[in-house]
Amino acid sequence: MPESAFLEMQNILKEFPGVVANDHVDLQVERGEIHGLLGENGAGKSTLMKILYGLYSQDEGDIYLDGRRLELDSPQDAIDAGIGMVHQHFQLIPRLSVAQNVVLGEREPATLFRSDGESRLPEAVRSNGVVQALARRFSLGLDVPTQRIDDLADQYGFDIDATAKIWELDVGQQQRVEILKALYRDADLLILDEPTAVLTPAEAERLFDSLERLTEEGLAIIFITHKLNEVQSVVDRVTILREGKNVGTATVSEVTQADLAEMMVGREVLFNVEKDGVELGEPVLQLQNIHADNDRGIESLSGIDLTVRAGEVVGIAGVSGNGQKELAEVAAGLRRLTDGSITVGGTDLTGAKPKRFVNNDVSFVPEDRLRYGCAEDLSVMHNAAMKEFTDERFGSQMGLDYRELAAYAEELVEEFDVRGVRDVTETNAGDLSGGNLQKLILARELARDPDLLVANQPTRGVDVGAIEFIRETLLEQRTDGTGIVLLSEDLDEITDLSDRILVIYEGEFVYETTPEAADRDRIGLEMTGGASTDAATAESPQPIATGQDGEP
Amino acid sequence: MAGFLGGLLNATVSAATVFILAGLGELISERAGVLNLGVEGMMLSGALGGFIVTVVTGSTWLGLFAGIVAGMALASIHAFLCISLKANQVISGVMLTLLGTGLTTFYGSRWVENSIDGFSQVTVPLVGQYLVDIPVIGTALFSNTPTDYIALALVPITWYFLNHSNMGLELISVGEDPEMADTMGVAVFKLRYLAVIIGGGFAGAAGAHLSLAFSQLWVPGMTAGRGWIAVALVIFAQWTPSRMLVGAYLFGMLDALQLRSQALSFSVGADTPLAGIINPTIDFLMNGQIMATYPYLATILVLSYAVIKTKSDRLAVPSALLQSYSRETD
Ligand SMILES: Nc1ncnc2c1ncn2[C@@H]1O[C@H](COP(=O)(O)OP(=O)(O)OP(=O)(O)O)[C@@H](O)[C@H]1O
Ligand SMILES: [Mg+2]
Repeated sequence: MPESAFLEMQNILKEFPGVVANDHVDLQVERGEIHGLLGENGAGKSTLMKILYGLYSQDEGDIYLDGRRLELDSPQDAIDAGIGMVHQHFQLIPRLSVAQNVVLGEREPATLFRSDGESRLPEAVRSNGVVQALARRFSLGLDVPTQRIDDLADQYGFDIDATAKIWELDVGQQQRVEILKALYRDADLLILDEPTAVLTPAEAERLFDSLERLTEEGLAIIFITHKLNEVQSVVDRVTILREGKNVGTATVSEVTQADLAEMMVGREVLFNVEKDGVELGEPVLQLQNIHADNDRGIESLSGIDLTVRAGEVVGIAGVSGNGQKELAEVAAGLRRLTDGSITVGGTDLTGAKPKRFVNNDVSFVPEDRLRYGCAEDLSVMHNAAMKEFTDERFGSQMGLDYRELAAYAEELVEEFDVRGVRDVTETNAGDLSGGNLQKLILARELARDPDLLVANQPTRGVDVGAIEFIRETLLEQRTDGTGIVLLSEDLDEITDLSDRILVIYEGEFVYETTPEAADRDRIGLEMTGGASTDAATAESPQPIATGQDGEP
Repeated sequence: MAGFLGGLLNATVSAATVFILAGLGELISERAGVLNLGVEGMMLSGALGGFIVTVVTGSTWLGLFAGIVAGMALASIHAFLCISLKANQVISGVMLTLLGTGLTTFYGSRWVENSIDGFSQVTVPLVGQYLVDIPVIGTALFSNTPTDYIALALVPITWYFLNHSNMGLELISVGEDPEMADTMGVAVFKLRYLAVIIGGGFAGAAGAHLSLAFSQLWVPGMTAGRGWIAVALVIFAQWTPSRMLVGAYLFGMLDALQLRSQALSFSVGADTPLAGIINPTIDFLMNGQIMATYPYLATILVLSYAVIKTKSDRLAVPSALLQSYSRETD
């Protein structure tokens, strides 16, 4: 082959029972480029990358790296070949420290036995093969690795303390630890599977800066994302997958976002949804002076007041970690209050069990779909019917009518276009691609026709076509008189869908506005708490939101 | 009384060894994500295997070795079923206990009459005798069987292995998140096999200690539920070797106390108020049969305590305990 690229994946075929995840896909990536990989949910992006990382083995096709053919039987083979991967779902052990997570599998011996470190042992003993083999298994030295991690972190501008435990870090930092894992192993090719899905725009910016520094050093980067604006700003070339097939590679500077969307979905995509006026009804949710702690027992909601009326979408903007997760859980009845009261549709549910919230027609789309949104190892049918199975049509007290349940699940899968479901009773929720799982969860929550919907990051990790669909569905629910609390880190989503916008900062609402009056810079400033220090210079300080005075 | 106390402490050390060995073995297996409820079965086969080999060869050390191998052999069945075939760990473990109990009862009945010398108490050279002569604690601390010392040494060794070696780190990662470990190039299956089989070796050693050192005879079913207590101790210990040591001594003491209950008699004078109620109550509580239930009552208390406590603390249970792993779920 003349002039072959740094990475060549040729004719890759991968079938799962009933699904062709990769249908004879070719992919070429050069050194020093950021290569985008785009495609709808379930198009086969993660599968292709897992093959490249040795996690799955392809049914057909070859992989060449730097001209050499690779036989990848395990991730270790890929690591040895210089491939690093940051997975769509974080691969970190919360209980262990950053350094422990990073060196895992590298077998770093104690400093005493290192050939490069300071050591009192004579060189002859240290370099002895048997001593090395034993030391690498039965000792562990974190001093030298910690130094190396600190150096790498400095070099790429990461603020990571190598001795911190993973659970103490926020998602942005965890993301950087994932990248450190690959850099530590001297990766020449770095795969990033939706790295920005959980990052705030500012965190994503920082990630892009680091990525650019990496490519300057000659690394090749494969970057999977659903955010077309990110593709436009950092990616050099992009390959698009549709239903497992490669539909083309383009140089980003030569195409528009609309072109990319159309290549992905196969039709034109509307980026702006139309919103029509809706009469506001009775309050469906009233939160009064809510105080609640986070998982670590630190107060993270400090006096939240919020009223949501039927037919109203209240958008809550904020930097992640300012109480959004706790607020969503409080509104869905999943978190205990330390103070305050909750009324749902006129019923006081302060301190009530989650089940009563469900029975009072509250639906909830959690932020972490894999851990809290579904039961991974249960079928799509079980997951779809999880909140509805007590309904009469599914049988009596004594038994469930599985045929009816399956039919119900199929209906939802059909209506919400959940792809990759071979058989609702056999496909497990955990086997769905990320975006399709999200659609399944939305289907379950919306099909109940809730009075109140609490949606936390409903379009995270979802492709453009599906985002359009989800937004339309949310607005339809609004027209049907559902009150919606929408928490999102995507400001466009908030301004497009909301009737009212509240900014949350350190567990309190600090600013309220409407989409029409919204000034993005002001919102951005409020989100970071900047306004309180600049209060004197800010034009006309808005009243602190009480929630009661929401204007239409 | 000092004599009684000294004897009790001495017996406690020997009884605790059973729990240390079996508990550490279970702890290692669970840290790798595999629950093994077959401890009782593995201990029984270790006890019988050790006993037979000692009778036949006359060497107690060979007997101990055979006990370890017997425990490992049973554990490999569990490893194969749970790791390779991804069978349910609870069911496989219970099966293992039934298997071990059944096999040792069947093949062990004709060895009951045999007698062995077993491990004898050893002391430190030179100064040993002076140390042993220390009142009350002397014999308990300085005159024990080799297995007692081995078990004690294994506590820090296991701690060091888990927390300060690469293999230990990999083993823990496999028990926390096998998928993550796999992506880091850790040999998930190999490590889980290793952990389960080593755990079996520890349980086998515990059984061998029971027949070769603790009672120096073989009776079918002689573990009498100690394997189950070891499983509970792992929870009490919150999966850490040092707390395992504490738990093992607690239960070792109860075990030893029960064996010596005959030697105990307490009563209050007949003229004390309520003596008519107090004395029969003491008699009842000190009855050998009632005392035999104490370890199990204590287990229930200890487990309730551990569960209530961990609700507030960060749960120390390995995150992937009971989960089998396969790379492609197709
Ligand atoms: N382990 C598996 N077993 C069975 N089917 C699978 C498995 N992994 C993926 N699939 C199926 O293969 C197809 C491709 O999935 P993949 O995860 O590669 O999609 P993706 O492009 O990464 O989507 P997303 O953007 O939602 O993450 C989907 O239909 C999915 O359901
Ligand atoms: Mg994916």
